[in-house]
Amino acid sequence: MRHVARFVVLGSLLVTVLAPALGASAQTDDASEVVLRVGTVQDLANDNPFGVVGGADWGVATTEYDMLLKFSDEDLSPSPGLATGCEPSTDHMTWTCSIRDDVTWSDGTPLTSSDIAFTFRFIIDNKIPAYRNYFPYAPTFETPNDTTLIWKSQQPTFAPDLPPWVYIVPEHVWAPYDGRDRKEIRSASIIPAVGSGPFVLTDWRRGQGWTMERNPHFWGERPAVDRIEYRVFDNQEAMVQALKNGEIDIADAIQPSVFRSLEGLPDIATQEVVSDWWLNLAFNFGGQGPDADPLPALEDHDVREAIAMAIDKQEIVDKAYLGYADPGDTIVRQASAYWHLDIPSDEEIPYDPEGANALLDQAGYADTDGDGIREDPSTGDALRIRMPASEETTGAAEAGQLIVGYLGDVGIEVNLQPASDAKMNDHWGAGDFDMYIWYWSGDPDPDYQLSVFTAGLCAVWSDGCWSDPRFDAMYEEQRATFDREQRREIVYEMQRYLYDEIPAIVLAYPKWLEAYRTDRFTNWTPAPGADGYLLPTYNYTSVVTVRPVGGTSSAGSSPGLPAWVWLAAAAVIAAIVAGTVVRGRRRRDVA
Amino acid sequence: MSRRYLTRKVLHAALTLFGVLAFNFFLFRVMPGDPIGLLTRSERLTDADVAELRTAYGLDEPMPRQFVGYLGDVARGDLGVSLRTAVPVSTLVGERVWPTALLVGVGTLLATVLGVLIGIKGGWRRGSVFDTSTLYGSLILYSMPEGWLGMLLLMTFAGMLGWFPVGGFTTTETSGLSTIVDVANHLFLPCLTLVLGYIGEYAIVMRSALLETVNEDYILTAKAKGVPEHLVRRRHAVPNAFLPTFTLIFMSFGYVLGGAIVIEAVYSWPGLGQLAFDSINQLDYPVIQAIFLITSAMVIVFNLAADVTYGLIDPRVSHV
Repeated sequence: MRHVARFVVLGSLLVTVLAPALGASAQTDDASEVVLRVGTVQDLANDNPFGVVGGADWGVATTEYDMLLKFSDEDLSPSPGLATGCEPSTDHMTWTCSIRDDVTWSDGTPLTSSDIAFTFRFIIDNKIPAYRNYFPYAPTFETPNDTTLIWKSQQPTFAPDLPPWVYIVPEHVWAPYDGRDRKEIRSASIIPAVGSGPFVLTDWRRGQGWTMERNPHFWGERPAVDRIEYRVFDNQEAMVQALKNGEIDIADAIQPSVFRSLEGLPDIATQEVVSDWWLNLAFNFGGQGPDADPLPALEDHDVREAIAMAIDKQEIVDKAYLGYADPGDTIVRQASAYWHLDIPSDEEIPYDPEGANALLDQAGYADTDGDGIREDPSTGDALRIRMPASEETTGAAEAGQLIVGYLGDVGIEVNLQPASDAKMNDHWGAGDFDMYIWYWSGDPDPDYQLSVFTAGLCAVWSDGCWSDPRFDAMYEEQRATFDREQRREIVYEMQRYLYDEIPAIVLAYPKWLEAYRTDRFTNWTPAPGADGYLLPTYNYTSVVTVRPVGGTSSAGSSPGLPAWVWLAAAAVIAAIVAGTVVRGRRRRDVA
Repeated sequence: MSRRYLTRKVLHAALTLFGVLAFNFFLFRVMPGDPIGLLTRSERLTDADVAELRTAYGLDEPMPRQFVGYLGDVARGDLGVSLRTAVPVSTLVGERVWPTALLVGVGTLLATVLGVLIGIKGGWRRGSVFDTSTLYGSLILYSMPEGWLGMLLLMTFAGMLGWFPVGGFTTTETSGLSTIVDVANHLFLPCLTLVLGYIGEYAIVMRSALLETVNEDYILTAKAKGVPEHLVRRRHAVPNAFLPTFTLIFMSFGYVLGGAIVIEAVYSWPGLGQLAFDSINQLDYPVIQAIFLITSAMVIVFNLAADVTYGLIDPRVSHV
């Protein structure tokens, strides 16, 4: 035992000597540095704007780069970005943009109109999938001087004013990649990044998080934050605990069940972001290929209307999203407030299962064999519906289960098939479904979302190959209308038309959920509007305006045992092991 | 140990590894969901683009040719390129091996040492208060799901008490010596979960093996010779009882990698388990395949190591 005691004493001595040194080295942080710590469940997949895959990638790119025109804080309408404005010629075939002369890349090189022209040409020439749709009618770009960009289109267009959701990259960094294999472009990783936004990516540890440092050459207002640290959590509960503990300052992408536990806590504010996506119940009309075999009865407007009447959207909101959503109506998302048409409640298709039954009876869909399922009078087949639902879309599987019940009540049998997005894609490509539940999201401008319902996009973007010449004509009309107000009238009419024709049912507008500590940072600038995103999504204003509470440093420390405890523990264990060895040797000597 | 025994064991291991390679390759080809389709949905590609991508990733070639190509690539250490991130799989795996090795290494080591000690002490004094309480404790821990235990520890020690960070590997602000302390703080809870999850198994196996040996004649003889009790235990009972536990230890080093998936997901530990979890969700075939291969290879290698060492410490085995 004496030996053990000796080792313990020795160990403790070691701790006393080393502890101050360890304690000092833990304070590596510059006390005056302001660090914003963000918790998220989405890891970065790609740090390069031409290879963006997931939500986190878009967030990083949005913080790092500017766009030709930016999405406004208030309603995401086009507003001055790198260009102070873009003016069309009278025929809308030539647009002249005035580019700011005070913008510098984070490496100190000036940003000029040729960087913008380079980025646009790079996307078109290298067929960058995420962005090429922003350049219709084979445009060409001219740069008569550093502050002028001329966009020439083969046909009248409002494409420059959409604005194209394209991040402008530095020509002097990206020129070497021009013309290379697409895989090479996609996998290019440039860290530290060279951007014109307020922060640039300087460090990325996969599976753990990434760091963005303030761009010293940023052309706008100087941000109060010096560094943004993103931490990736695999688990929602852990992320929320970290927020409660103060390990992080803001949590992104929170699930409804966990979000609820944050409401009403002191020092924590919750943000329910206005929906920019919708849960979609699409009908299949066939036309995808030889395997497509949708149920013919769904061509009948009465059947689709009865289905719409049988669905209780409010219950879907309450059960699948725990109330953090709004019942859906039209196909232009709520976040595009300028374009979104809200159908007055007295004109909505009501939730009315009895009415749905009556409508189906009237249309001749009777249950002729008494098995509880109605038959199609023209084919004699029972109304059995195959309905895949995306397991990766929040709320889709839950909504699917509810719909099985709703339609069962009106004599329609639904076979719910939960599927991964990859499997959903197979169903969509083959057309071997009758209805499916997935989601839609997109640009602030409604053009793309409307185009999805045109006949020409069957098997390209259309869910179920619905086709309607009247709708297609309206689409072309809005595309050629250059007065914003007039165009909006047509866009309203189109939303109304889709609502009445029911090629799809907009089930819900789910909200994005964020929460932050009010005792650490303040002065966020959500976009769009007061109930917009706090973290960079459509623009980076929020991370520029946000500042620490009281104006002081906010670098918090991570919890954990201090160094001396670890050292003491190590010393004690070493002492016990050594003591045991010595004791064992002594006993062996005795034996 | 005979050369024949060794050759046979190595040959078996090699055959199993080939079987795993073949299974690994074909299993992922028959699973539903087209990986290129996954890219299309998120990237707005046209049909021509999809065909181009399919060629680029070699998905348009006939199966046998894809398989031969796969074998050659694996032999060269080329595990392909991640579909989602466009980064070589060997890079992704390389980054994740060390955190997992640290967690599994430290955890299994502690669980083994403590579990074996508890098993010896309990088995030797069968029916004592120590034995009964550790036996019940071991059974409870053994049957507890790791994910649940992990959440419980996380909520208590990181959430309520705030003694440890809720997850991750390091806090980004540290450097130098303090990084070691920082990693230790992050490691504590996941490691504790792993130790608690596995300690019961070792204790139970060690205890029952010891119980079998204490009734052997040679123990009685030793006692009759007047050998002190602690020496009977250390020199006669434990070495003979240790054989089954020994196999278990080797096997679990191979398996624990898979078991760590849940713990890594709970504590956001950036290891292979987390990588496996994420890539399965994203249907990132090359990454899943690589992890599957590594995990299987680990089991095979440790199995072989167990067989060989077993042959060394127990000569009876290698003559069979």
